[in-house]
Amino acid sequence: MLVQAVQALATGLLTGTVYALLGAGFSLIWGVAHVINIAHPALAVGAAYAAYALAMRGVDPLVSLAVVVPLFFVLGVVLYEGVVRPAARRSGDLVLVSMVLTFGLAAALENALAAVWGPGPRVINVAYTGQAVRLGLLALPVPHLAGAGLAAVTIAALYLFLHETLPGKAVRAVWQNREGAALCGVNLRQVTGLTYGLAVASAGVAGVALALIYSFSPASHLTWLVFVFLVVIVGGVGSLVGAMVAGVLVGALTHLTTLVLPFAWTPFLLFASLGLLLLWRPTGLLRR
Amino acid sequence: MLAVPQALRRGVRAQGKPIRLGGTLPLTGPFADTGVWVERGYRYWAERTNRQGGLLGRPVEVTILDDASSVDRAVSLLERLITVDRVDLVLGGYPGTAAAAQMALVERYRKVYVSMGGHMASFRRGFRYSFGGPPLMGQWWYEGAWRWLANIPRGQRPTRAAAITVNNPVGMAARESFQEGLKRLDIPLVMDELYDLPLASAEPLVSRARALGADMFLANGFFPDGVLAVRAMKVLDYNPKVVLQAVGSLIPEWVTQLGPDGDYIVSGTAIHHKLPFPGIAELNQVARERWNLKWAPQYFLFGYAWAQLLQQAVEGAKTLSHAVLVRYMREATFRTIAGELRFDERGLPAPYEYATQVINGEVELIWPPGRRSAQPVYPKPPWRR
Repeated sequence: MLVQAVQALATGLLTGTVYALLGAGFSLIWGVAHVINIAHPALAVGAAYAAYALAMRGVDPLVSLAVVVPLFFVLGVVLYEGVVRPAARRSGDLVLVSMVLTFGLAAALENALAAVWGPGPRVINVAYTGQAVRLGLLALPVPHLAGAGLAAVTIAALYLFLHETLPGKAVRAVWQNREGAALCGVNLRQVTGLTYGLAVASAGVAGVALALIYSFSPASHLTWLVFVFLVVIVGGVGSLVGAMVAGVLVGALTHLTTLVLPFAWTPFLLFASLGLLLLWRPTGLLRR
Repeated sequence: MLAVPQALRRGVRAQGKPIRLGGTLPLTGPFADTGVWVERGYRYWAERTNRQGGLLGRPVEVTILDDASSVDRAVSLLERLITVDRVDLVLGGYPGTAAAAQMALVERYRKVYVSMGGHMASFRRGFRYSFGGPPLMGQWWYEGAWRWLANIPRGQRPTRAAAITVNNPVGMAARESFQEGLKRLDIPLVMDELYDLPLASAEPLVSRARALGADMFLANGFFPDGVLAVRAMKVLDYNPKVVLQAVGSLIPEWVTQLGPDGDYIVSGTAIHHKLPFPGIAELNQVARERWNLKWAPQYFLFGYAWAQLLQQAVEGAKTLSHAVLVRYMREATFRTIAGELRFDERGLPAPYEYATQVINGEVELIWPPGRRSAQPVYPKPPWRR
C-alpha cells in the first residue's frame, strides 16, 4: 500500500507539473491582457504536431524545442498584433469578443491540423518511451520526468523573467494596473505583445511535454482545455506560482484518491474540492 | 465478388434523377479519427455503385454532414436532412451515442436506418426501422475472446482479472460482456474500476491491478486511454498473461503509432479485413492504393457494410418506400462483407464471435479456429525494452 501511495503521489506530481505549465501561459494572458485565450491548448497541440513531425525525422522532442520555442514566440506576437489587438480596439467587451475570437481560432487550428495530418491520433515514440527510472519498488516514467522537468524549468524561467528583468517587471506592472503602468511610460502594446509571445512559447513547451505523455489528435485541445481551466481557476488567474501549486495539487489528488476510493469518484472529488476552494477563496489560491 | 447490381449485369449506366442518401458523422472533434473512415466507406460504396450501374438504375448521391462529435448536432442535422433536404435514404451515424439518438429520430420519421446502433440498450427499445448491420455491440465484444480462453487448459488460464472501463455507454456495454464472460470462465474479477474521460493517468489503476496479482487485464476504452494503460503497464513492468482492449485497438493508429507496445492486445470485432467474405479483398486493395495502408481499416469496412446492406434491401425490395423496405429487411437474408446477416425482431443479426490479437504489428483473427489468420500468442510475452 505504501509503495502504491508513493507511486501514485510521484506520478501525480509529475503529471500535475505539466498541467501547471499549460495553465501558466493561459493565466499570463488572462492576467495581463484580460483575454481568455481558448486557443491556448490548440496552440499546444500544434506544438505537439511540430515535435511529432521532427521526431519522425529523428529529432528528439526535447531538441525540437530549439525550433518550437522561438517559432511559437513569434506566433504569439503575430496572434496579438494580427488578431487580438485589432479586435480589442474595436470591441467594447474584450473578454467576450476574445473568447469568441479565440474559440474560432481554436476550431480553425483544429481543422487545419486535421487537414494536414488527418484526424487520427498520433503518438511520439522515442527511445525513452515506456522506460522508467527505478528507485527500489518505485518506477518513475522517463517521459513524465522529462515533461515535468521541462515544465519546472519553463515556469522557473518565466518567474525569473517576470521578477528579475525590466521587461518582466513591465509585464507585471501592466498586469497589476494597466493605466498606472501606461502613465509611468510602459509601452502597453509592446508589453502585451511580449506577454503573448511568452505565453504562446510556453504553450509550445507544454504541448511537447504533454505529447511525451499522451497521445494527441487535432481535437485534443478540448481535453487539454479542461486541465487548463482547472489549474488556472484553482491557482488563481495571473499567478505562475498558483498555477504550479494547482497543477501539483490536482495531479496529487487525482492519483491519491484512487488508493482509498473507487476511481470513478475522482472527478467528483476533484470538482467538489474546487467548489469548496472557490467558496473559501473565490479568486483561487494565489491570485495576484 | 460483391453482389453485382442488376443494372451492371445488364451493362446499363446509371441514369435519371439521383437517389440521395444523407447522414451525419463526426468529421471533426474527438470521434473524427474513426468517423472519417466510416465516411470513406460510404463514399467508396457510392463511387463503386455509380460505376456499376447505380441503385435501381439511378445514380446515388451521398451527403455527409459533420456533426462535430456532438450527439445534439447529429440529431438536428439528420432531422434537417430528412425534413428539409428530403433525402431518399438515411445513412447510419457514429459513435453509438449518436446512433442511439438518431435511432429514436428515424423511428419518428419512419426511415430505415442501418448503423452500428448504440449497443444492446438501443435495440431493446422496440424500434422497427433500425438495423445493426452489423452492429458494434459492446455486449458481444469479447465473446470470441471468452471462447478462445475457454479452449485453453484450465491450469494455464488466467486466475484473476482486473478491469478499467470508460464510464460511458460503450464502456458499460463492454462491462456487461466481461462481467458475464469472466463468470462463465470462473475467473474472479478482483478490480473493476470505472473512469471518466479524459483519463489523466492510468498508473494508479495499473499499479493496483498489479498489486492485486491480476494476471488478466481488461482496458475497456478508446485509443488515448488505451495508450495510457499500455504505457503504464510497460513502465510498471506489469506483465499479465493476457490484455484485452476494447475499441481503441480497432483503429489503424493502434498499430502504426503505438508500434511494438501495441502487440499481443486481444479484442473483438464484427468485421475484419482477413475474413473470407466477398468484397473484402477489393476493399483491402482500395485501402492500399488510396491510403497506403496494408489493410482496410475496420471502420472503413463498417461504413461500406452499412451502405451495402441498404443497397441490397433497396434492390431486393425494388423500392425506396421505407415501409416496404423495413418489412423486406425483417425477412430477407443479406450477404455482405460482414458475412450473412438475417435480422431478428430487434433489428439484430446473430451475435458475432470473432476475437483479434495484434501480432507483430498486424491485427490477426485468432477465433473462431476456422477463421484464424494467425495462431494466438499466449501468454503475452513481457514488454520489449
